[in-house]
Amino acid sequence: MAKIEKEQVITAYKGRLFRRLLRYGRPYTSNFIIAFILVLAVTALTLYQPTLVARAIDENIENYGRPYAVTAQDQSQLNYHGVWLTRDFDLETADYESYGQIVYYDEHYYYFAGLSRSDVQFLQDRLSTLNEVVSQNSSADRLQINAGENLLEGTLLSREDLEVLRKDDINGILRIGLTYALSILIYALCNITQAFLLQKTGQAVVYDIRNELFEHTHSLPLRFFDTHPVGQTVTRITNDVEALSRLFSDVLVSVVANVARIIGYLVVLFCISVTMSVRTLVLIPLVFVLTAVFQVLFRKAYRLIRTKVSGLNTFLSEHISGMKLIQLFAREDHKYDQLKDTTADLYRSRMRELMYYSIYRPVVSLLYTLSVVLVLFRGSAGVLAGGITIGIVYIFIDYVQALFEPIQQLTEQFSSLQNALASGEKIFTLLDQKNTIEEKPDFTSVEKFKGKIEFRNVWFAYEEDDYVLRDVSFVINPGEKVAFVGATGAGKSSILNLIGRYYDIQKGEILIDDINIKDLSLKQLRQAIAQVQQDVFIFTGDIKSNIRLLNQEISDEQIVEAAQTVNADHFIESLPHKYDEPVSERGATLSAGQRQLLSFARTLAVDPAILVMDEATANIDTETEQLIQKALKTLMEGRTTIMVAHRLSTIQHADNIMVIHKGKLRESGTHQQLLAQNGIYKKLYELQLYSNN
Amino acid sequence: MKKKEKNINQLSRYLKKYSLMYITGILILLAIDYLDLYIPQYTGEITDGLASHGLDQEGVNAILLKMILCALAISAGRFGFRYFIIGTSRKIERALQNDIFRKLETLSQRFFNENKTGDLMAYFTNDLDALREALGWSIVSAVDAFVLSMMTLHRMMTKVSVSMTLYIMIPMGGIGILSYFVIQAFERHYTAKQESFGKLTDAVQESITAERVIKAFTQEEKQLDYFRTVNRSNFNVNMKLAKLRSLAWPLLEVFIGISYLIVIMVGGYYTITNRITLGRFIMFASYLGTLVWPMIAFGDCLTYITQGAAAMKRINRVFNEKAEITDSPEPDDVSTLEGEVCFDHVHFRYGKDLPEVLSDINVKIEKGETFAIMGRTGAGKTTMVNLMTRLFDVSSGSISFDGHDIRKIPLAVLRENIAYVPQDNFLFSETLRKNLSFGKLDATMEEIVEACRMADVDDNIQDFPDKYETMIGERGVTLSGGQKQRVSIARALLKNSPILIMDDSLSAVDTDTEDNILNNLRSLRHGKTTIIIAHRVSTVQNADHILFLDEGKVAELGSYSELMELNGQFARLQRKQQLERQLAGSQED
Repeated sequence: MAKIEKEQVITAYKGRLFRRLLRYGRPYTSNFIIAFILVLAVTALTLYQPTLVARAIDENIENYGRPYAVTAQDQSQLNYHGVWLTRDFDLETADYESYGQIVYYDEHYYYFAGLSRSDVQFLQDRLSTLNEVVSQNSSADRLQINAGENLLEGTLLSREDLEVLRKDDINGILRIGLTYALSILIYALCNITQAFLLQKTGQAVVYDIRNELFEHTHSLPLRFFDTHPVGQTVTRITNDVEALSRLFSDVLVSVVANVARIIGYLVVLFCISVTMSVRTLVLIPLVFVLTAVFQVLFRKAYRLIRTKVSGLNTFLSEHISGMKLIQLFAREDHKYDQLKDTTADLYRSRMRELMYYSIYRPVVSLLYTLSVVLVLFRGSAGVLAGGITIGIVYIFIDYVQALFEPIQQLTEQFSSLQNALASGEKIFTLLDQKNTIEEKPDFTSVEKFKGKIEFRNVWFAYEEDDYVLRDVSFVINPGEKVAFVGATGAGKSSILNLIGRYYDIQKGEILIDDINIKDLSLKQLRQAIAQVQQDVFIFTGDIKSNIRLLNQEISDEQIVEAAQTVNADHFIESLPHKYDEPVSERGATLSAGQRQLLSFARTLAVDPAILVMDEATANIDTETEQLIQKALKTLMEGRTTIMVAHRLSTIQHADNIMVIHKGKLRESGTHQQLLAQNGIYKKLYELQLYSNN
Repeated sequence: MKKKEKNINQLSRYLKKYSLMYITGILILLAIDYLDLYIPQYTGEITDGLASHGLDQEGVNAILLKMILCALAISAGRFGFRYFIIGTSRKIERALQNDIFRKLETLSQRFFNENKTGDLMAYFTNDLDALREALGWSIVSAVDAFVLSMMTLHRMMTKVSVSMTLYIMIPMGGIGILSYFVIQAFERHYTAKQESFGKLTDAVQESITAERVIKAFTQEEKQLDYFRTVNRSNFNVNMKLAKLRSLAWPLLEVFIGISYLIVIMVGGYYTITNRITLGRFIMFASYLGTLVWPMIAFGDCLTYITQGAAAMKRINRVFNEKAEITDSPEPDDVSTLEGEVCFDHVHFRYGKDLPEVLSDINVKIEKGETFAIMGRTGAGKTTMVNLMTRLFDVSSGSISFDGHDIRKIPLAVLRENIAYVPQDNFLFSETLRKNLSFGKLDATMEEIVEACRMADVDDNIQDFPDKYETMIGERGVTLSGGQKQRVSIARALLKNSPILIMDDSLSAVDTDTEDNILNNLRSLRHGKTTIIIAHRVSTVQNADHILFLDEGKVAELGSYSELMELNGQFARLQRKQQLERQLAGSQED
């Protein structure tokens, strides 16, 4: 048999790989577009929300400095101690008789009434440097200010006074609050919708790729399965595809969103103040580099842990199932020491990962605080020198902190992108496996096969030039029973494989009912032939489903009939749930003989023209053996039967025996004829008798 | 109540042992949490100072310096608690792994028959993972969340406003409750997802393993149809998780948003009416940021601690398992066995409600003889061996070696003095040499090679790439059934024990090799007891005595010629096998 190929992954895709992966997202383009728009909206809202707070601070909360003017009742909504006031004017151009001004001093607010325009201007200029002009004569509820030759006096404002005087600011806060509430709502709705759309798309893509891979795998010739371990192929269809789901449901859009967020924050910050941005963002590139470096370390540590965990699991599974031996050899201490080494290994690898995280996380959080310090340092200088408001400082603190998140996410996403690409490579390597057994598009259609089989100068090799069959020719007529005998590796089983076209021959022709099997459809050909194999595969399900094999056209009655015909009903009836008895490949509830009988029933249910049989060599108890022999007789009736036989009883009953030796057909005839011929058959026969004595 | 106490025992031993580590870690955590609160406070002081013009650049710088020192201390502390708490959780994990295995080693085969290997391994993997999380991060989260939230709330109330704090506690409590339920739901859906993935893998695995059948019965399309339904249901299970995933975080964010909304509205109003200063307003907003995480963590660690407790309960089931086969408290003074074995009215059943496997066995095996046991499958042959090696204790009657009751012989002495070739020929995934010297760890290379010659397997081993250093199993060479049997025989021979038991150990070797090995055994085992279980008459014909078991009872007992003369079951079997060989012999494939 062919050797198991070492796993080869085609790494030549590179650039095309990503594009080819994206192609699976194409049916869901609209989902991506909607999600993307929503993500942009979410990003915009994330940027917008802190500016609302900043606006509330600058335009409302810190808006006490805006002056008042005494006006007519019909132009005002503000009545303070019987005086109608307005703030809705421009001081430069306004022309009112009397003005008012709120002043904040030593954590108290004071109201100065009856001011002239120049008084107001004087106070406005000195709002932040009041201590220079506050008079010594001020008391707790009176603030006196020296304005040139004028002495201005303000009265302390109570909570109720402020509520009245700053009605418009309170209303402003309410308006901003409403906007904020609305933005939360829209934000949540957008976020839920986009996340759901993307998750669904990711799952749908996974679903599609799995179906495609599964279908493709089953279209591959047996040669593929000879050379690729089952576990590897299963991993492609299950785990590797799973790794792709994150690419579509998360990574693709998040990468874009995070880049958009980073750019958004930077643009806003630079728009507000270029110098402030340049001075406060110096630590950000450091976060990038640090995260990228540690990401590599984390992956390495994680892989090491995986290896150690599976090492421990292997040790445990082996030693728990081998515990009997450990106890019988009294080697408990010895094995305990070995286990301690294994767990210590795992512990060390876990500690290494812990160390990496213990360094990375605190350093990032340090950088985070340092960035805030930097903003406060530069910001306070700006505020003190003028030109920068406290609201701006607030935005900077908020945004600089917010920048950390997308940066860290981006590096993580980059590594899951790498994982997805690695899985993609493996998946495409499987998808690009060619089906070497090609069907002709204009195949010959046959109503019913009679069952004539002919080999014409057939040459066949599993691997190049290493011929298993050399120039084999024979004819088997419909209804004939032919047995192939020969030493192990003589090529008997290969003949059986070739009739159903599981492999293509290199030279010669194989004909069924005088038609070359390459001119037939594989489906038609294989439906005409039933294979009874040495190891009978039991599907998870029940007895019924194992006879029917997903073929819903076969009725329950037909199943019982088939089971009765091949004498399988006897053991089936003895099972607790009879035909509904659950069975599985791993749950070894059926004996080898029972499996054989079940496979006979399976075969009979499809009523083939040709029966191909590899006789079981397993030891089967005499009673079942007799049942099998009887069943075989029924099975072979009216069918061309071609078999690799081991039991003398089976061989002797064949119409024709063909002796294969070193890939060549050397002798043929009946048992008696061949014995008389005194050739290879006789030698084989004697050798067998002798070796068993 | 008593039972519950016991459950905590194994763990509390380690918690006690590492209590200093935990206390140090928790103290560091408290220190960090305390310092953490200063950062927003400093931010507030600076903004306040700037707003009220009470601070100049130098004042700002002084506060900033304090902030930097704080941040440095916090970072150092973050490293510290990880080392002390998380590191310790991993130490405990390792210790428990070792302890569970050590405990398993003392348990009898009955336990291993009742518990599947996979289930036992789950203790080491799933359960210890859960426990590690509970002992590590959950403790950190719990302490951190509790302390941080309490301190933050305290500050919010004292430094800013009691009523404002009470307002935002409504959405914050909502976050805690929501996150608890969300995490529970996640766990549920995640388990369902894993199960569904397992089903999918099984379906693919089965389908690919059955490739030949599928092709032979042209079932490709039907397989795809079937797979589509499995795949679809997997899709549906995943979508349930996806829905939760899409909803959970945005919902939490709504609650966070609502609390900020409250800060803007209420805080803004309070600031305007001079109930709080602007600096306090900003301070409050940043305290709020500190409060979100602990709220989420509450739900989180509650879940993990519940899971950890459940895991510990399961693990304790192993620790509380009583070792059935133990040394007698007053053992006889035996250090070697001579090789005489006596079964005296031995009865045995594997479980109380199970039928008797051996009934009234009275057999004496003399020192130095070759004793064969035959009988149909299920007659009780292997059970007899299991009793002799004390994998199980007799239900009634007694077994004795050289007159000592088996239960009075120290277990180690008994097993050191019996060399055993098991039916399943279990080998470890180690080098051949290590496997061979398993019974005699200090065996020299010469002794090993000699034993392999005697077991007729040296030639095969010499053909392997690394000879005796060849790895066996997945990572190395896969041995054939016959090779395994012979390695297993060599392993037992190397022990050179007074008693050798071979349980159907020659079934996979051809007749010539069998003859060879039996010949070698005769000279090698001269004067020592050898017990052979066999199916083939050819294997036992030279034995001194042959015991034929039938349904757990002694049917026939005597020498080969005696049994042939008796013309009973043994003689019938002999004739049948002879006939089989002549007629329906199988072509050795």
